[in-house]
Order: sequence, then structure tokens, then C-alpha cells
Amino acid sequence: MKLLKPTWVNHNGKPIFSVDIHPDGTKFATGGQGQDSGKVVIWNMSPVLQEDDEKDENIPKMLCQMDNHLACVNCVRWSNSGMYLASGGDDKLIMVWKRATYIGPSTVFGSSGKLANVEQWRCVSILRSHSGDVMDVAWSPHDAWLASCSVDNTVVIWNAVKFPEILATLRGHSGLVKGLTWDPVGKYIASQADDRSLKVWRTLDWQLETSITKPFDECGGTTHVLRLSWSPDGHYLVSAHAMNNSGPTAQIIEREGWKTNMDFVGHRKAVTVVKFNPKIFKKKQKNGSSAKPSCPYCCCAVGSKDRSLSVWLTCLKRPLVVIHELFDKSIMDISWTLNGLGILVCSMDGSVAFLDFSQDELGDPLSEEEKSHIHQSTYGKSLAIMTEAQLSTAVIENPEMLKYQRRQQQQQLDQKSAVARETGSAASVAGVVNGESLEDIRKNLLKKQVETRTADGRRRITPLCIAQLDTGDFSTAFFNSIPLSGSLAGSMLSSHSSPQLLPLDASTPNSFGTSKPSTEPAAVAGTRPAGNSVNKDSVNATSAPAASSPSVLTTPSKIEPMKAFDSRFTERSKATPGAPVLTSVTPTAVERLKEQNLVKELRPRDLLESSSDSDEKVPVAKSSSLSKRKLELEVETVEKKKKGRPRKDSRLMPMSLSVQSPAALTAEKDTVCLSVPAPTLKLPMPGPQKAFTLQVSSDPSMYIEVENEVTAVGGVKLSRLKCNREGKEWETVLTSRILTAAGSCDVVCVACEKRMLSVFSTCGRRLLPPILLSSPISTLHCTGSYVMALTAAATLSVWDVHRQVVVVKEESLHSILAGSDMTVSQILLTQHGIPVMNLSDGKAYCFNPSLSTWNLVSDKQDSLAQCADFRSSLPPQDAMLCSGPLAIVQGRASTSGRQAARLFSVPHVVQQETTLAYLENQVAAALTLQSSHEYRHWLLLYARYLVNEGSTEEGAAEGTAASHRAEPPLPASLHRMSGTARHPKG
Amino acid sequence: MAKVQVNNVVVLDNPSPFYNPFQFEITFECIEDLSEDLEWKIIYVGSAESEEYDQVLDSVLVGPVPAGRHMFVFQADAPNPGLIPDADAVGVTVVLITCTYRGQEFIRVGYYVNNEYTEIELRENPPVKPDFSKLQRNILASNPRVTRFHINWEDNTEKLEDTESSNPNLQSLLSTDALPSASKGWSTSENSLNVMLESHMDCM
Repeated sequence: MKLLKPTWVNHNGKPIFSVDIHPDGTKFATGGQGQDSGKVVIWNMSPVLQEDDEKDENIPKMLCQMDNHLACVNCVRWSNSGMYLASGGDDKLIMVWKRATYIGPSTVFGSSGKLANVEQWRCVSILRSHSGDVMDVAWSPHDAWLASCSVDNTVVIWNAVKFPEILATLRGHSGLVKGLTWDPVGKYIASQADDRSLKVWRTLDWQLETSITKPFDECGGTTHVLRLSWSPDGHYLVSAHAMNNSGPTAQIIEREGWKTNMDFVGHRKAVTVVKFNPKIFKKKQKNGSSAKPSCPYCCCAVGSKDRSLSVWLTCLKRPLVVIHELFDKSIMDISWTLNGLGILVCSMDGSVAFLDFSQDELGDPLSEEEKSHIHQSTYGKSLAIMTEAQLSTAVIENPEMLKYQRRQQQQQLDQKSAVARETGSAASVAGVVNGESLEDIRKNLLKKQVETRTADGRRRITPLCIAQLDTGDFSTAFFNSIPLSGSLAGSMLSSHSSPQLLPLDASTPNSFGTSKPSTEPAAVAGTRPAGNSVNKDSVNATSAPAASSPSVLTTPSKIEPMKAFDSRFTERSKATPGAPVLTSVTPTAVERLKEQNLVKELRPRDLLESSSDSDEKVPVAKSSSLSKRKLELEVETVEKKKKGRPRKDSRLMPMSLSVQSPAALTAEKDTVCLSVPAPTLKLPMPGPQKAFTLQVSSDPSMYIEVENEVTAVGGVKLSRLKCNREGKEWETVLTSRILTAAGSCDVVCVACEKRMLSVFSTCGRRLLPPILLSSPISTLHCTGSYVMALTAAATLSVWDVHRQVVVVKEESLHSILAGSDMTVSQILLTQHGIPVMNLSDGKAYCFNPSLSTWNLVSDKQDSLAQCADFRSSLPPQDAMLCSGPLAIVQGRASTSGRQAARLFSVPHVVQQETTLAYLENQVAAALTLQSSHEYRHWLLLYARYLVNEGSTEEGAAEGTAASHRAEPPLPASLHRMSGTARHPKG
Repeated sequence: MAKVQVNNVVVLDNPSPFYNPFQFEITFECIEDLSEDLEWKIIYVGSAESEEYDQVLDSVLVGPVPAGRHMFVFQADAPNPGLIPDADAVGVTVVLITCTYRGQEFIRVGYYVNNEYTEIELRENPPVKPDFSKLQRNILASNPRVTRFHINWEDNTEKLEDTESSNPNLQSLLSTDALPSASKGWSTSENSLNVMLESHMDCM
């Protein structure tokens, strides 16, 4: 063993709280205290490993430092792919960093040129949720999730594919949570806290699996961190600070039954950090000795407050090595190199130590293949008896996921270089903005920059945007708040999940074929990535209706790729292709499959070879025919449904297995998501369920319960509809099965089989005999006394059931969905009975009943919206706080576009014109939607803008302003709208 | 965390006659859209002896600021010579560029400024009443002094204070470590200008 303390790794004497080695082994990150902020530094690894490199002046030691954290950084962790770095600190934030590729070395301004950043790492996401210091962060295997724990006693699980989405907040600890570790198999996550407990949570439902307290009874909350660790074979979980007979220990917890019979003893003070070697080892084979292969074992490093470090092998009773006096203060973090032979240790005293072991000392590391074989033999066998989707199956699929990931990376690279070619000019620093070189721009910047005076006479300069943030996938991936559904979400996943996955270890491409008696052709795995993204929703959504709880019903967006993989991979058996299912693949999905296939075609041979010992289905894979692959995909979904949830599958019709998620069932108050295949305009239909519950409103509390096929008189099956409104309940029966229901404070309506629609008052009186719809129902919606029915044939009807009039009569969606692959992403019915359709291309239309026209009320790509700048006219308090149907359909994304337009240095007059035009559009849209509140808001804004601009730029605005003043209806209608919110018609 | 990082400040039109306006080309980067404008100020330190003689040459609002890298030129008129003590007209002083967000200053960039006569005769026998029209202003552009401050960037004016509560361990660290160092330049307030001037005269 060699020991080295590289003195150049320091934070200027400030404590280093965390260290983590990059998965590719070329660099490592430290986190801790900076000058007056938290600090994250990325260091070059080679000067640590090689003395020559350390002496070579030309080899940089520090690659990048980030001072962005406001307060001390407690933890830095690389994602398994190495693409991202997550850091958490006392400023309650987690920042996710990604390397910017377009910008070369630069210096930190004002740092006298010495501290050059060789690499540029940029913050791509800031995760805010914790109300206290973030103590530890951990990426799940395959980077699907990121977990963070905090002194606010919680653990938060973030969707690493879609930051900053929170998947779960694990509550249960009653003290500061100071350490996290994922089960290498992905089934659990464990946390250790100052409340003298270690808790293990299931990743399946994010519920507590067990809480272990006994070994911690004597512990005081004296350590800064409690970094626990899970062994790479998954068998053991080792805690930080535990006590045994008043002596500090690291408690070993067995996965099997969570037994706590063993511990690592010997440290004189509390154990702060435990870190397992990522490798599993076996005894070094001596020459000639034909000893029987020994049991594989793990290796674990333990750091303590007593400033010493011990390294243990699970096959030895005593530690392999103990190093005392390594530091002046407590050890804070440990990181192993990926090859398992080196560790970096950091300390509160601000120094770092590197230990280098030889294979003679530790043993022969098992290859990834052998390792995954161990995983399979331990956790894979139980598959046969598992009916529920278990995350452990992800292990089985490991090599496949790796392959998938390699292809995705390739694709990503291709895309990236394409993007670089396209946008490189704008993004690179020395590049060109809008056809002008940066130098030219700089020469004329003073003359060209837009300077105005604010209302109070102050100078206001609009800065010239010279570059977007250059992190490639920055814009949409992380800041998109548009509700996504169906295929849309799928495409998001397929384009953004790729970097999250493990890098492919070249030595382990295919243990798949040998590992498991599988009837599934390996090459199908090639299509599976695409399938995964495409089917993601269907998988989840179709399993959702089976559950009767409304909370499950309304969470189709909470899908993690891991679960998706898992639930789909759990069941594999003789798939019988079913043609009807095929028809339900949306054209967009097919498009995507094609794209995926382009990349996939690069490697079919590989796949085939790797699957040579799987069964006769391989020929299917040889055909690169799109339809066959697609078919396989679909079939797989079917299989899953049948096998995965055998108890429930009788309630599912094949219909619900389509790619279009029947998310319509998840009808929340007034937003419904569904996706629509364009050319045929056949909307998805909800399949019958055994029972479901629908919350209509929470205040007053009102919910509808539906129970289908309650056996009643003489074998006739009736369906029961129950409605509970603030404790008052009524129920009725219907003769056919209820497909979907909707309610408002005035009416309750249900759509049944045989195209029947029944409407009841909230007191249970039937308002109308059943309405016969022209075609089966797709989506049902109520607001006030208005009932909206969208049929599978894409016709829309709205009735006012109280006044018994038709508002919209069987209006076809053809005109707005015409052409390409558009889908409806959101449906809204305003309280005045005006239907609004949000489409996947970012446009939103409302149907104007008086004119019988579809009116465009919002367009995310609208260049007007992007150019408009009226912020100066916003009233200080309610900036953007206006809520209503227009705000819902337009979302908050309206500000994000602004920068794009400003890449062109727009003359002020032009900007004024566009702003005015935009504001007028908004006023008109609010009027058409009959949203009095919003009409007032935009009209006031418009007026204010005219006044503001009129005072500075006399000419341009005056004309428009005057023309509006001359228009009498506006003020009058303003009065009317704000006075009565009911029916400003006529 | 700091949403705005100043990447670079280029001093334009330097050296120049005393009465020429100041021009700074400022490049900064913003990681998230800002809901309010940034306010930049140029402050001319008339006399190192006292803050009394500080002149705010101009202040501008800069906005809107979406995420991305931006640049602008901040031009401000030359200081009013009437407000500068005669004894301090010639020699070294300081010009400061500050930026505030929601009224909180988060960065301060300071430059040494040397005012001297270009004519040798005047240089050797400076008039008692300084002749500003003959003075040349030379900003030591290569050596900016940057001080960064932590402010609350969030829209909600919540609890920056309650960080105190949770972790006494760390808190003590924070407070002792909040000292400035060479790489970050000045300590935090104008009062230290004096000290700074003396200690850094060697850079001139």
C-alpha cells in the first residue's frame, strides 16, 4: 500500500467535507468551505496518481472551481454516468453541474489570472425543497433518481431525468438526516440520522421498510456526517456511528431480515463515514495452487472522528490496515476509484489523502460480468415467484441497459455535434452573433445597445445577450413546465434520459444471454429503449386504473424510468403478437421508433452475436422491420399486464393497452391530458374498470365513487354510482358499465358503455334521460352547469344542462388537429362553458360559440410573446399573478422565450410595436374566453404600458394609444366585465 | 446562490483626458431569469481620506435579464471636479463599479485610478489650483479588485436568518471563514479603502 497526501489539494486551509472520484477516474471533486461561500473544486487525478504528472507544470491540477453555493458544501457526488455532478450545502440547495463544452479555459474575473478554470462546469439545475442544510446526496444506480437528505429531517427523491421534479419526500426521521446510500440493486435506499435510527425505504412505493434503532441507542448526535454504505453485492448495509458496549462501531446490517449481529469495532471515536469498494473481490490465485475457488468478498473503508482510517475485507476478522494520525481532524468522506484499488479520503482539517493498494493486498476484482452474475444469482432467482414488479429486476437487465445507454450516448454525441455545428457560432465566446463577430458587436455596443428611461426618469439599459447558457440540453429539459402527457412525455424521456445512465464498461457487454433462461430475443432489447420511452406512459397509466385510490389515478406523470424498465422486464414469456394492439401505436411513436432504429441499425450484429445462445426467436430480431419490432414492444406490454397483475387483468380491456395513455381517467378538476393520433382522429377511450373514485372538489369536499357490475337482482349486473358531498351521500344504479365520470358543484355526469351519457344534479336527481352520443366517449368534463363531451371520433359537444341549451354542437377537432402529428395535451372548460384545447405544438384554441369558430388564444412559439417586454408596466405586487383560463393555457413559459428574440438587437420601436401587439392579443383572448379577471388584468397592463412608453417615446406609441382611446367599447366592456362575472354576452 | 456572475469588465477609452466619460464594457452571466432589473453604479472616490467625497457618477438599471451571457457598456460622465479636494486631484484614487439586485449589493469591482499631468512641466511644478483639463486619467485596468457579497436572490423574502438555527458546528466555521483573502481582494467596506490603498500601492 502506498500513501500520499497531495498538499496541493486544498481549499486554502478551509475544511473539505466531501470528496468523490469521477467514474472515469480522470478527475475528482471536493466540496467544502470557500472564502465566504461554499466551494466545489474539480481536480485532475493524474497528478495524484503519477509523480511525473505532479511535477509537470503543463498538466493542470485544478480543473474548475465553483463558488456558487452560498454556504458550506457538505457533499459532492458524480452521477454514475459521470455526466453530472451534484452538490449539496448549507444553503439548503442542491446544484447539479454539467460540463460546458463550448467554452475553453477561462479565468475567474478578478482572481489575477492564476486560478484558471481549465474545464467549465455549469449549474444546470438548482433543486430547492429542503428547509435546512443539505447533508448528503446520492445518485441511484443507473442515475434515475437523486436522493438528498437534510437537517430538516427529510429525505427527498428527485427525478434525475426531469429535474426539478420531486418524486417523493421521505418523512419519518425525527432528527437531522446525515447520510444516504442506495441499495446497489436499486430496491432500497437507507438513511441514517441523529435521531438514533437508521431507516431503510423501499423504492417501489417510497415507504419505510424498516427502522433500526438498537445499535444506535447510546449514540449522541456528535458527528457532522453519518455516511453509511451498502456493499456492492447488496448483502450488507454498514452504518456510520453506532455503539456497542459503549464503544464506537460501524454496525453491519444484513439485508436478510435486517439482522444486526456484526459490527466493525476498533475506532476510538464515532465513525463518520463508511464506504464500500465498488468491486467484489476473490482471493488472488497463487501459482500452481489449485485451491477451490473461495467465496467472493467485499472491501470496506471506515473513517472516524478519531482521525484514523481502517480498511476491512469481509473475509477477514481483523482490518486489513489501520492508519492512525492521518489527519489533524475528523475524516469527512471517502471515495474509491472505480478499479477498486485506490481511495481518496478528506478531512475537516482541509487536506486529502490518497491510498493506493495492489491486487496482492485486496485480491482479484471480479469483472462486472461476474458481479452482475452474483446479483442475479442472489436476487434474480426470486423472480420466478415474484408477481409484483420488483426493482431488483433492473439488475438482470443491466447489460441491456448498458447497451441501450451506449447507443443513446452515441446518439447524444451525434446530436450534440449537430447542435454544435448549428449553434456553435452563437454559443462560442469568440463566435458570431447574428452574423456579426463579437468584435464588431463590441465596437458598436455603446451605440447599438438599447437604452430607455423608466417612468421615474432613470436610465435603463437592455443588455445584449451574447450567448445562451451552453449546456446543450439546457433549455427545455430543465425549465419546461408545460404539462406533458402521452407521447410527448415519452419523447422527453427518450431525448433526455440518455445521459443519466451508466457508461458502458467494455468488458461487460453481454452477460445477458448466459445469465437467464430467457425466451425473449436479445435483439428485441435493442428496440426496447425506444419502447421504454414510448410505452412508459401506457405502462404506468394502464396499471393505474387497476388501483382504486384516486391519488394513484392522478399521478401518471410520476414515472421513473427505472420503474418502467422494471415493470416491463419483470414478465417475459411467449409473446403472441396481437394485431389489434398494433393499430394503437401513434404515428409520432412510430416516428420515434424510426429515429431510434437509425441508431440501432449501427449495432445489430453486436446484438445478434450477444444473443447467440438465447432461443429461436432470434430470427425475429434479424429482421430490422419496424413493424415487427413495434409488435414485439406492444406484445411485451400486453404480457406485462397479464402477468404482472393477474388479479386485475380481467378489468382491463385491450383498448387500454394502447400507447395513448388513458390519462383522461385522471380527470383532475379541469385539466385532462390525452394524446391523439392525428390522421384518423381517433381519440383514446377509457376502458371499463371495476371501480374508481373521483374527487370533484376538496372544498366543499365532494367525490364520486363508481362501482361497476355489482351483482344484483337475478344475475343482472348493475353499476353503482355514489356521490358524497360534504358528508351527504346519494347513490343510484345504472344498467351498463360506467366508463368515466365527471362532476362539478352543479352536476354529476357519467358516460357508460353503449354511448350513453347520464346527467344528475348534485343532489342525485336525474336531470335528463340518457343522452345518446354519436360515438363512444373519450373525455368527459364538467364545469358549473356545463357538460363537455369529447368523443372518440374527435367531436366536441358542450351543453348547459340547467338551461337545457347546446353551447357547442358536435364540433369536429379536424380543423385544429389537421395535418401533422399534433396531439391534444390539455383540455379546459371555462366556467362560461368555453372549451379550450391545448395542442402539443404549443398552440391553444378556444371554441367561440357565438361565431362557431376556433380562435387561437395562445401560441408558445409566438414571436410576439417572445419579443414583448412589458415588465416595466407590471404592477409591483401581482406581477404575473393573474390566474384564469388564459393563464392556465399559456402557462408560465411565456417569459422564457424572451431571450431568443433578444439575440437580435431589436430596435426599440420594433419592440414597442410587438409588445403592443402582444398585449392586444392578450386582451382579445381574455375577452373571447370571457375571463373577466384576466381581461381586466391585461387591459390595465396595456393601458399602463401605453402610458409608460408614451411618456418616453412620444411618437410611436401615440398613434396606437390614440386609436384605442377612440374606440368606445373597450372602457365600457371593462366596466361590464369587472362588474358582473356571469355572462357578458350581447 | 449567486445568480449573476461577472465574467469580465473591459475598461474602454483608457487612458483618457480627465473630462472624458468613463466607459466600462461589462460581461456577466445569469443562470436563471431575473424577475427584476440589476442596478449598476459607478462611484468615484474623490479622496481616499473620506467617504464624504465619494461621487456616484451614474446609476443604470439593466434588464430584463434572462438566463444567459450578456454584455453592455456602462458610460458615465466624468466626476465633478468641484467636489474633489484640491490635494487629491493629482495622484492615485479609486473608481468602483457596484451592482445591486433588489437593493442588495452583490459585487463590487474596484480599479485604481491615477490622475497626472501629461506635460512634464506641470508634472514637476503642479499648480496649487489643479488644472483638470490638463489631467490624464489612467485606470489600472489589469488589476481589478473584486469583492463578492452574499445576498438573497430569491423572490420570496424568506429566512436567510434561520440558517443560524440548525447546525452550530458549521455556523462557527462559517463565521470564522468569512474573511477576505488575497485572491478575492478587498475586505468588504469602503472604510477599508485607506488600508487597501496603502497596502496595494506597490501594484502601481
